[in-house]
Amino acid sequence: MPRYAMVIDLQRCVGCGACSIACRNENNVPDGIYWSNKITETRGTFPNVRYHYIPTLCNHCGNAPCVRGCPTNAMHKLDNGITMHDPDKCIGCKYCEFNCPYGVIYFNWRKPHQFWRDDKALIKGATSAPAEEAKKVGAKVVPYYNPERDETLPGIRPKGVVEKCTFCDHRVKKGQLPYCVEACPADARIFGDLSDPKSQVSVLLGKFRPFRLREQIGTEPHIFYIRDFNPAHYQPTKGGV
Amino acid sequence: MKENKTKRKTMMKDLFDDIKVTRRSFMKSASAATGSAVVLGTTFKPTLRALAEASETSAGGAGTWESATCQGCTSWCSAQVYVVDGRAVKVRGNPNSKVNGSAGCPRSHLALQQIYDPDRIKTPMKRTNPKKGRNEDPQFVPISWDEALNTIADKIMELRNNNETHKYMLMRGRYTYMRDVLYDRMTKIIGSPNNISHSAICAEAEKFGPYYTEAYWGYRQYDVKRARYILLWGADPLAANRQVSYYSSAWGDAIDSATIAIAEPRLSATAAKADEWLPVKPGSDGALAVAIAHILLTEGLWYKDFVGDFIDGENRFVAGQYVDAEMFEEKHTNGIVAWWNLELKDKTAEWAAKITGVPAEQIKRVAVGYGQAAPHAISWLGGGPCMQVRGAYASMAVHALNGIVGAVDNIGGTLTSNKEYTSKFPKPDDFMDEIAKTGKKHGKIDHRGRLEFPALNKKPGGGVVTNNAADGILNADPNEIKVAIGYMNNFTFSCPQPERWERALAKIPFLAHITTNASEFSWFADIVLPDTHHMAEKWGYVKSIGNGYRQVTLMHPIVEPVWEYQTDETEIPWLIAEKLNEKGFSNLLDHYKTYKDPETGKAPTNEKEFALYSLKYATQNLWDPAKYKGGDKFNGWEDFVKTGVWNSDPYPYRKRWGKMKTKTTKFEFYSETLKDVLGQHAEKHNTTVDNVLEVCNYQARGEMAFIPHYEEPFIAGDEKEYPFIHVDHKSRLNREGRSANCTWYYDFKDVDPGDVAWQDVAKINPQDAKGLGLKDGDKIRLTSPSGSLTCTAKLWEGVRPGTVAKCYGQGHWAYGRVASIEFGKIPRGGSSNDLIPAQYDRLSGSTAYYATTRIKIEKV
Repeated sequence: MPRYAMVIDLQRCVGCGACSIACRNENNVPDGIYWSNKITETRGTFPNVRYHYIPTLCNHCGNAPCVRGCPTNAMHKLDNGITMHDPDKCIGCKYCEFNCPYGVIYFNWRKPHQFWRDDKALIKGATSAPAEEAKKVGAKVVPYYNPERDETLPGIRPKGVVEKCTFCDHRVKKGQLPYCVEACPADARIFGDLSDPKSQVSVLLGKFRPFRLREQIGTEPHIFYIRDFNPAHYQPTKGGV
Repeated sequence: MKENKTKRKTMMKDLFDDIKVTRRSFMKSASAATGSAVVLGTTFKPTLRALAEASETSAGGAGTWESATCQGCTSWCSAQVYVVDGRAVKVRGNPNSKVNGSAGCPRSHLALQQIYDPDRIKTPMKRTNPKKGRNEDPQFVPISWDEALNTIADKIMELRNNNETHKYMLMRGRYTYMRDVLYDRMTKIIGSPNNISHSAICAEAEKFGPYYTEAYWGYRQYDVKRARYILLWGADPLAANRQVSYYSSAWGDAIDSATIAIAEPRLSATAAKADEWLPVKPGSDGALAVAIAHILLTEGLWYKDFVGDFIDGENRFVAGQYVDAEMFEEKHTNGIVAWWNLELKDKTAEWAAKITGVPAEQIKRVAVGYGQAAPHAISWLGGGPCMQVRGAYASMAVHALNGIVGAVDNIGGTLTSNKEYTSKFPKPDDFMDEIAKTGKKHGKIDHRGRLEFPALNKKPGGGVVTNNAADGILNADPNEIKVAIGYMNNFTFSCPQPERWERALAKIPFLAHITTNASEFSWFADIVLPDTHHMAEKWGYVKSIGNGYRQVTLMHPIVEPVWEYQTDETEIPWLIAEKLNEKGFSNLLDHYKTYKDPETGKAPTNEKEFALYSLKYATQNLWDPAKYKGGDKFNGWEDFVKTGVWNSDPYPYRKRWGKMKTKTTKFEFYSETLKDVLGQHAEKHNTTVDNVLEVCNYQARGEMAFIPHYEEPFIAGDEKEYPFIHVDHKSRLNREGRSANCTWYYDFKDVDPGDVAWQDVAKINPQDAKGLGLKDGDKIRLTSPSGSLTCTAKLWEGVRPGTVAKCYGQGHWAYGRVASIEFGKIPRGGSSNDLIPAQYDRLSGSTAYYATTRIKIEKV
């Protein structure tokens, strides 16, 4: 059984956010919910200042607090290491959201994709309404709705349940890469099987010293970061007088 | 299992229908559904089959990947669109491209929200309020294509019947290479000189430097993977133009092999990943460039195989001292000593430090590092240093650094375009009657070529002065414009001081606009025609360069248009030609009928055939094996469409050394080419070059006119009243100005360093903000001498104190329900162009955007 993990090479990452937008697209994620996200930070004082970008997503933890705290087993681990959610079982208690130390689980407070449910046109007779547009193209709520998401999880998650990254289990199942990995223009995301010592993720973790987010709390996150977003060199001095 | 699935579906449906689910009933139904989840969990045994392959077209999914082209920015990437049940569902880079390959970018995905934007015009419409103005609701009503086309044709016929065809005007915005059908041929055959492109609000000044040094009028490609030093100037290739996808894919490797330095007043996306950030004061790039040139020469770091050397090998480039030109034997360059004596000899790092605000040590460190990397040392010219008043000479100075280090046309350096073999459309001459010929002889509405607008695109008046066309229209100089068509342009938003365009457009008696969305330009139109979207709805092609290749990438109709869209550059001109024919003027239709299908020899009989045949005609040399000339080879048309892209042969390095199309055939530090063209312009106006420069607001006189040099910036506004210099920049999510109606644009706006999601912020250094008592999130008004806008304050260390950086893209008061707070009335955020006065780099004709105005900040 594989144990899926992701390595994010921060040197390759250009901080463009293509991963996050592509994820929205692939998983029909509503506005305001970020299965794929980032931590940005501007450090220093002008002119010695740098901007840093760390892409984030569900860490598919080995010891997942979201799973441990879920009263209904809606949040559960798959044998391949993916932290999966079953909206059928979800009671919307949001324990997982509170327990997750990474803030990557989101609750659907509203009926999703409000934008596309609007039935008002901007210019009467000359433009369409969002709901009309979606209906005309024969899509489910969103005109560019991706039906493949529905293969393992409701294509659009209903109001009242949580949702989060599934490592694109519906794609991985078919031998495809998670969509954020495919969409990354910089090839900064490397996905694979940690139980296979020859996999690219295993090789990279042997080559570079990785770090993980808040690994000291024992969650065993399976998103590993290598190298630095900013490569700047500096002039070495004795103690920096 | 089936039962469980049904149950699950029913429950989902309940939730979708938003039936009030109490916590209790939720629990109940949830536990009832437990069984299904267990089944799901245990049967889910994924196997890892093809992870090594980046992607596959067939595995899984019901859809297919179809070749396409993304025109979200002018990277013009070859792309693919994933189509499911006739819907465009996803977008990615086209793996068949050697330029961008499978790499995409963040903005490409926003195309989906554009294609299905509910606020797209779905049918032609006409205004019913005869009054035109910013505060006049046009009261658009839908009309039929037939009525719209008849009206347009009637207006054109009126001009033809009155022998005043020169009062017809065509304004071009985002184009494909099908452009000449509408832009050139139709305008000529009707009989007008006034086809006005958007080019001068794009980057003409950026082409000026490369042209007047190495006779290349075009965008460069930069060989980043083989470079050892990359020095960028106001270019942000990880976020905006050009080839963002390719550079994003290559940057991780470039970082390993090259030192990266960037001169830019703002910590841009590219600066965030650079080794050195040189936060120059706006408008001082030219000073930094000549100081770097000075150091390269005094330190003996010029590339001798390209530039040559002193005849005895002794370096006589000593600060402050003249050099005898006889002592230097040049190889592939012209005028290194003249440049030194005229400009460089006193331009030390210390001198530049005072002007640029960059420490002398950093200037020296960067210059030496850059020189030591020669010839694999790129000086990357972006729009920043040169889309300024007097920017032409900074453009030359920045590009000339490539000449000193021999990076021109070299491995790891700056490259031009590879050869491609598309063909031009049939000539219009035989279809231009006397009315057309007479009409075309009139002066152009943008005043190009006049004494004060040299626009030296290869020749005097060779370039366009886009933004000045508004003044031409307003002053009816050289004549009034009675009938105008604009397509995929939005000059009332994209041009600085757009208020002039509002008045100009209101003055045109008949204006038609071809557009996807009802924009600020459409607001003034009499007829608005719904355009197809480039990604998935039309035939067309564009050319782009990168990674040492050139590509010709195709657009083709992938999805059925949701509403009644027609294509701007082919179908619509054909339809107008048909109407003109019905009204007794057949020349245009007769001309279009000569665009025959190369496979069957058949003339087009309708707009759909015309769109297809004209594209096949233009690209025949690429797809027809019998006409093969080079690069990728195809079996025929179908093969080409399926692949979606033709790639050129690899770049032939150093082939142009000694064979450039300059006057001297060499890379010119002393530009004989510019001397010639400026001389022609002066002669045409019976004056001197010095007078041309004076009228055009340059500081150079005498020989200085022909060499790269520093000119002081010309910035509007008094420093006391307007303490800050405005820094305009682009977003990595901008699809030019057209992504503002996409929700993803706002939800991810913070991928631009310093910016904030769902806000339009002015980035202010905390030190400056403190003085003004401003904090994050304050609503502020920015005012320049020519206008003002309101937005939100963002305190950020990534901006130079004394400057305010604000991203272009928001501030639409039309365009759609998301783009504006209230359509037609209240903008969302503020548009930078409301601050920027209409100013020009007159030698190139380029509109100035950077270091162009000072502003003040007030809390509102």
